[in-house]
Amino acid sequence: MIELVNVVKKYRIGAYEVPALRGVSLRVERGEFVTIMGPSGSGKSTLLYMIGCLDKPTSGKVIIDGVDTSKLDDRRLTDLRREKIGFVFQQYYLLPTLTALENVELPMVFSGVPKGERERKARKLLELVGLEGKEDRKPMELSGGEQQRVAIARALANDPPILLCDEPTGNLDTQSGKVVMDLIKRLNVERGVTVVLVTHDPSLSVYADRVIRIRDGMIVDAG
Amino acid sequence: MLVELALRNLSRIKVRSVLAVVGIVIGVMAISSIGIFGESMKSMVLENFKNYVNEVVVTPNYMHGFDRIDEKTVKRLEGLPYAEKVIPIKSVYTLVEGRKERTYATVYGANLRDLEGILKVEKGTMRECVVGSKIADFLGVKVGEKIRINGRDVRICGILKGERRFDINTYNAVILSKREFDRIFNEKGYVMVIVMLRSMKDIDAFKNAVDRTINRKEEKVSVFEMSVIVERIKEIFNKMTLFLIAIAGVSLLVAGISILNIMLMSTLERTKEIGLMRAIGAYRETILKLFLLEAGILGLVGSLIGGALSFLGGYAIDMLILRTSKYVFTPASIGYVVLGISFGIATALISALYPAWKASKLEPIRALRYE
Repeated sequence: MIELVNVVKKYRIGAYEVPALRGVSLRVERGEFVTIMGPSGSGKSTLLYMIGCLDKPTSGKVIIDGVDTSKLDDRRLTDLRREKIGFVFQQYYLLPTLTALENVELPMVFSGVPKGERERKARKLLELVGLEGKEDRKPMELSGGEQQRVAIARALANDPPILLCDEPTGNLDTQSGKVVMDLIKRLNVERGVTVVLVTHDPSLSVYADRVIRIRDGMIVDAG
Repeated sequence: MLVELALRNLSRIKVRSVLAVVGIVIGVMAISSIGIFGESMKSMVLENFKNYVNEVVVTPNYMHGFDRIDEKTVKRLEGLPYAEKVIPIKSVYTLVEGRKERTYATVYGANLRDLEGILKVEKGTMRECVVGSKIADFLGVKVGEKIRINGRDVRICGILKGERRFDINTYNAVILSKREFDRIFNEKGYVMVIVMLRSMKDIDAFKNAVDRTINRKEEKVSVFEMSVIVERIKEIFNKMTLFLIAIAGVSLLVAGISILNIMLMSTLERTKEIGLMRAIGAYRETILKLFLLEAGILGLVGSLIGGALSFLGGYAIDMLILRTSKYVFTPASIGYVVLGISFGIATALISALYPAWKASKLEPIRALRYE
């Protein structure tokens, strides 16, 4: 379960303080599929990164599974990200030097899973996202849709209960985008993974249980 | 996996990595080659002294008013258990005349048969009268010819082989047999006694024995061991080698700066990757480790190649300057190669400390959004 209590985030750009979030309170239940929609600059990505513990709020609380993340140090936050959260980014962010299989293995390397076990699991995950046979390809040798599926497999490596997606179809054509979205929905339904997805593409709202609209750093519609 | 990742990251920037390795190779080679050269030079100089490291020179204690060693003292020295051979030497500083020239020289008197163990002749034989090569040239005399010492004629039987020594100047000395010396001069005491010890390990025992017997009532003699000089020479050469290595170290410093540079570039180029790794669960230390690992690999590869090549470098310098290669492969040389290799690796790691620290300090969110 994800809970945000009056989260404020201000960025300092030179002499100015730019408010990105101005008091956001939000609750996402376990197993829910939520999309956050809003125009660019509305603070939706910032909100997602707050949930993902990649950034700390200026004030307010972010509570993940009952843990108040503002009280955690960098090491604990890293542990929390690794165990609880899978990320899917618009630009995939696969390491170009590693093969598809190795990219999926990477989070398990960080959590200390032994080599044989993590390889077995990475193969399974690639199979799950429909990329069997392409394990040894480098990201450059895969299409955008395939790269995003590798990224999804990687996000699932440590069996996180939460999947955070930042414009996962933003760089994909409609067909590949649909494959990726169907996959994410399937994970939500079959595995009970909580999904929070940020997009400005209204057509993706059909996948969601709930659509939250955000504008100028404030929630205008909690769905 | 981290090692694998580091290797692949390096192969991504092949040219830069190779150049950084070349820098380390040169730096390590410079340090180790010069170390080998310094060590070779030391060995070469010390070889001159190796014959008499177990020699001890006993001299009168001038400070306490003794300028000669008497016969009784020599007998006592001969009686000490550690002495293998005791060679008492008399000397006079006097006028020596040859055919063309005349000069003042130190004329020694000693048992020439005993001295044969220490000094060598390059012409003639070691008897009656042997002279140093320089003084022979100066006086214009050869083996078989006569020189006049203190008004008496003496026939030269041999020319001494020149050798660097601290007790007797072999280039300018005139050495007479005991009989000849006593025929010309009326000297009672000895100016020095050369004692050959059975082993250098006995040096302290010998000194103690001298203090207990000869120096018991009065400090009559001083004991001077050649090994002190050898130690001093070693010390000087070691300092010199250290100084040269420090100069060569500058090249390693430059190599270090190039590693610093490529690592800083890497942290910039890979900012997003670093952010991603942090996002998916890498600790700060993991990022730090990864960058240090990359630099460490560059350092290790460069240092090993440089270490191997430094034997070549040492050989080249030795051949060029010392004209011999026999000192290149010695345990001490290997020591300098190991030193060079460790310096190389350390340089790479130290250079990477700042970039690695910088990379590990990146905030995940900022790194991911970095353009």
